Amino acid sequence: MDIVVCIKQVPETTDIGWNPETGTLMREEAGGILNPHDKHALEAGLRLRETHGGFVTALSMGPPQAEDALREALSMGVDRAILLSDGLFAGADTLSTSYALSLALKKIARFDLILCGKESSDGMTAQVGPQLAELLNLPQLTYATEMTINGNSVQIRQKMEDGFRTVETCLPALITMEREINQPRIPTMDSIMEAYRDKETEIWGGEDLGGAKGHFGLKGSPTQTRKVYSKKIKKGEVTILEGGPDEVARELIGILRQKDLL
Amino acid sequence: MDFTLSGESKMMVKAARDFAEQVIEPVAAKVEEENTLPDDILQKFANARMLGMMIPKQYGGIGSTALNVILITEELAKAGSAAIYTMVMNNSVAETIYHWGSEDIRKRFVPPLCDGSSYAAMAFTEPGTGSDPTAITTIAVPDGDYYVLNGTKRFVTNGHRKGYGIFYAKDETERITAFIVDKSSEGYTWSKPYPLMGLAGQGLVDVFLKDVKAPKENILGEKGKGFDILLRWIAGEKVQQMAFMVGMGQECLNESLKFAKERMVRGRPVTAMQGFQWMLAEMHASIEASRWWTYRLAAKQDEDSDIQVDSAALKLFVVPIIQEVARKALQIHGSYGYCKDYKIERLYRAIAHAGVTVTSTEIQKTIVGSALARSKGI
Repeated sequence: MDIVVCIKQVPETTDIGWNPETGTLMREEAGGILNPHDKHALEAGLRLRETHGGFVTALSMGPPQAEDALREALSMGVDRAILLSDGLFAGADTLSTSYALSLALKKIARFDLILCGKESSDGMTAQVGPQLAELLNLPQLTYATEMTINGNSVQIRQKMEDGFRTVETCLPALITMEREINQPRIPTMDSIMEAYRDKETEIWGGEDLGGAKGHFGLKGSPTQTRKVYSKKIKKGEVTILEGGPDEVARELIGILRQKDLL
Repeated sequence: MDFTLSGESKMMVKAARDFAEQVIEPVAAKVEEENTLPDDILQKFANARMLGMMIPKQYGGIGSTALNVILITEELAKAGSAAIYTMVMNNSVAETIYHWGSEDIRKRFVPPLCDGSSYAAMAFTEPGTGSDPTAITTIAVPDGDYYVLNGTKRFVTNGHRKGYGIFYAKDETERITAFIVDKSSEGYTWSKPYPLMGLAGQGLVDVFLKDVKAPKENILGEKGKGFDILLRWIAGEKVQQMAFMVGMGQECLNESLKFAKERMVRGRPVTAMQGFQWMLAEMHASIEASRWWTYRLAAKQDEDSDIQVDSAALKLFVVPIIQEVARKALQIHGSYGYCKDYKIERLYRAIAHAGVTVTSTEIQKTIVGSALARSKGI
């Protein structure tokens, strides 16, 4: 089974600045980590390989320092790592990112399954996975908390707002992952050494992907950020209710109703 | 001079952080309460390939560096648990056997320390001596193909756990020789683990050797040169111990910052008050200085330099200032820090150990002072 896992490097902290002109994150200011949801997607891919055999490729787009996220994927055990990195891609929104990833996947050509984290911890749009499936004209199953391969089909347990449902589709397909799906492995010390000393990360630019240059980066991004600001959180007063449990519960319900919260 | 850590080293630190959070922290409180380690803890370190890190691959290690061992020790130490000492011991004893051992000894005794099937032990101290080789009373008498060992060893980490240990005894020439002893040998018994102030579960026991046979081919290094082996091991062990202190000191600062930012006094967080800011600043400066000197000595180990005097000076510097970091952390937490509900209580007790184990702070002064007196100046 050939699996491609799409991963992203995200800022290590939420304390990161914005470029006031472009409205994009100033990623170079913060240290980068592998997006937490993507780790679960990698783990899912590696477990499928262990069960069914095959080949796992990690694919990412970002500035050169995003290579660290791919080195982490290599240390977890993926077979191949590809970074899409080119000035052309800078400032990409989710659509432009999906476009570049879709071209890379067409270039990779052989895959049965594309796995993505549900969302990135910085943008939190949860759009790239679904957009990528549309651009590749593939079926998509999202928010997976369990995943099973049955012959030429894949079944997942999908997390809904108010419960779960089981859905199935044929391969090839794209699946996005919830954290509940697994516990990602911790890379061993020797696998980290191999990832940095013995393995290669391929770097692909715009020329390698082909496609329409106008669809890459900021130019290819229909999302225009007008204003970016940090949400101010006002701290309210704390009221401690005293008395027995029944009495306190009644009083709390009364207060919530007064504030139209119930 | 490059002070930048490589991507590989940073990734190892990150993996160690995840290991501490997922494997050590969940059992840390239970280890303290029951004064014992989970049976599978050494195997978990082995599976993470954290044992025998400096040992070449053909002997079961991964061929990494002393600096990487120090970096992950520092990160794991933040859990403030004795569990980490199992890894520290297996790394340092495996390196010692590899350094001094014949090819036969390397092949027989190094791989079990790397794959987690053997707990490492190092036994020099006795009821009557901690640092003086002339006062050793354990004896080794030749008998055919064996040496027969008799005596008592005190405070032996992992003395009661399966595997092999390096035991020091006076041979028939009255000189100190290092023997690799199988801890399942006939005549090998041990006491209950000492209940400790901190780092419970480390497993310090007295070991009683009664006619314990060690094959002659189990002599480590040259016969009669055991004290040299001990001194070199102690120097490396001190650097690991100081990495342990740096990690715990950093966690003291982390916990203090977290507490002080949330603790409100007269409508302001404690961090807004200059008195507390000064304590935090002093803690930070102490930890940074300790950290970089520790890294420096690890780099010297990788250069195969003699670090016996340097490691003593390092310990002389680090122990009191990290103990002061712990004291300040307790002050910042106030009465809460004295409660077992707060991690700082465990760290404070754990940090106390370094001044009296792996040679005392006072011994470091003697080592450094006498070396300076002999030297022609720096």
